[in-house]
Amino acid sequence: MSYESPIRELLVTGGKTAGDVTADICRPLEGKPTKLWWLGFTISVICLGILVYTLALTSFIGLGMWGINKTVGWAWDITNFVWWVGIGHAGTLISAILLLFRQKWRMSINRSAEAMTIFAVMCAAIFPLFHMGRVWIGPVWALPLPNAFGSLWVNFNSPLLWDVFAISTYFSVSLLFWYLGMIPDIATIRDRASTPIRKFMYRFFSMGWNGSARNWARYEVVSLILAGVSTPLVLSVHTIVSMDFATSVIPGWHTTIFPPYFVAGAIFSGFGMVLTLLVIARKVLKLEAYITIGHLDAMCRVLLLTGSMVGLAYITEFFIAWYSGVEYERYAFLNRMAGPYWWAYWSMMTCNVISPQLFWVKKWRRNPNFIFFMSIVVNIGMWFERFVIIVTSLHRDYLPSSWVMYSPTPTEIGIFIGTLGLFFTCFFLFARFLPVINMSEVKSILPHSHNNEAESVHQPEVVTH
Amino acid sequence: MANKNKKFIYGIYDDADAVIHTVEKLRSQGVDVHDCYTPFPVHGLDRAMGIKRSNLTIGAFISGTIGCITAIVFQLYVMVGDWPMIIGGKPNWGYFPSFIPVTFELTILFTAFGIGILFFIRARMIHGKVEDLVDLRQTDDLFVVAVEEKEHRFDKEAVNRTLIAEGALEIREREYNK
Repeated sequence: MSYESPIRELLVTGGKTAGDVTADICRPLEGKPTKLWWLGFTISVICLGILVYTLALTSFIGLGMWGINKTVGWAWDITNFVWWVGIGHAGTLISAILLLFRQKWRMSINRSAEAMTIFAVMCAAIFPLFHMGRVWIGPVWALPLPNAFGSLWVNFNSPLLWDVFAISTYFSVSLLFWYLGMIPDIATIRDRASTPIRKFMYRFFSMGWNGSARNWARYEVVSLILAGVSTPLVLSVHTIVSMDFATSVIPGWHTTIFPPYFVAGAIFSGFGMVLTLLVIARKVLKLEAYITIGHLDAMCRVLLLTGSMVGLAYITEFFIAWYSGVEYERYAFLNRMAGPYWWAYWSMMTCNVISPQLFWVKKWRRNPNFIFFMSIVVNIGMWFERFVIIVTSLHRDYLPSSWVMYSPTPTEIGIFIGTLGLFFTCFFLFARFLPVINMSEVKSILPHSHNNEAESVHQPEVVTH
Repeated sequence: MANKNKKFIYGIYDDADAVIHTVEKLRSQGVDVHDCYTPFPVHGLDRAMGIKRSNLTIGAFISGTIGCITAIVFQLYVMVGDWPMIIGGKPNWGYFPSFIPVTFELTILFTAFGIGILFFIRARMIHGKVEDLVDLRQTDDLFVVAVEEKEHRFDKEAVNRTLIAEGALEIREREYNK
């Protein structure tokens, strides 16, 4: 049963019809790319070039090109890995969890958020792969194949291996979910295609979809099942990422709060990135009627909620460090707050705990410029969170003689900028060739389509007998 | 298929409600609706057409179970049977909790891909398949009701009248020689 309050804002404004939706969403795909698109795409490809160059340096010369050392064995690479995986969490959250909760506002943002998930996970995977050193044999070590390097099999007791399974499952299931959701829309573009090459490409990927009601019925069941399995999946992925740290015996990592804290942080950072992208995309692609201020408002509320959860986790960690009475644990946290990396810690606190609280003000939640600024702040804050957790816990270990400072090398910075390039290159290509908004779902929530009329309010969304 | 030549009558609509009403009316007159083609999932249409709940969920459950068992058996084979690894003095047998994350992930992986592949098989979809459309705009903003012309006890005039009475923009006929 779904209940809709009568005062709820319209999800699609401007009195659009189904035909308008198709025309509006397909317009950016069918015309020539704008100058703005070329500008953004060129900058992204240049950054992608930096990625190729810095990764080549890392591969040919070795990990010495990075700033990591014996004490700080994990630094920028894992920080970036966790940051990107976290960003990848909003897509599945929006499409899976909000589908289960029957939140219809997800429908105009889920496609781009899922695309973002996939690209972010691709960026994330680069870091551990290259950190293995010899990347050309690294993937072989990570797969459960009998090998001759030391032990005969991979070690299933290791959280690092769990991560391999979690990330690759997450990537492939997200890709399937994204693609399946896109098939009806690809069919729509196919049927509007005017050149043979477009027709051929979109026909290939639309798999012969013709909108048959029998297939729609199956399709809805499949979507529901995929949403059902993706929900625990998305929660498990960052849980397992956090276990990379939590199962170790390093003070500052060895805490049971990590799984929920990482998941909340992932959703927080994911929504931060979704807002960064969508505030621009709705303007550039002229989608204000579909991604309304109401949508931005709803996402800011999620930011407020998850930001507060993250803040609570930070404070709980501190309390437990003191309450545990463990000397090393206490030192690790004092060192975070007042040690040489105090600036990273306080950047994190300001960006993640204090700044989201501004979203209590409704006026600010509905101001795209302010939201864009805040989303950047959240992205920075969440990056610092991972940096703080990883570097400050490692750089002063049990043995004071091995205490060091860590700073990134140009190669590491280049790889990070490069992954941003990869991410945005993929996103620009996506916005050019695929529908950024789920047309078929948005058509179903238009005010005059059957589904929103009074009588269907009394029926469950997926009709099952 | 018994009949080699299949004839269909299509009513084309621009309103989702009209499609549901047409289907309900046709079925109340004893006419079987072959299928409908809609640009988005019209809720209530499957009920009106009398489509049973898809049993793809059973397939999902079975494939998930296969994934779960595969993961458990494989991990036990690797870590206990084939080459026990003693790392940090931890026991291999009886160290089952550390197998749970991989088991969980593989269960989900198999469930998702199992139901995905079964869906494509059931819906007869494959990459590069040439679509079978009544109207190019059925994936845009038009709705199609397809009625198969049976050889016996089929009143074509009555079907046409019903389609028109419910607001069809156009009525088409087509014959398949397959």
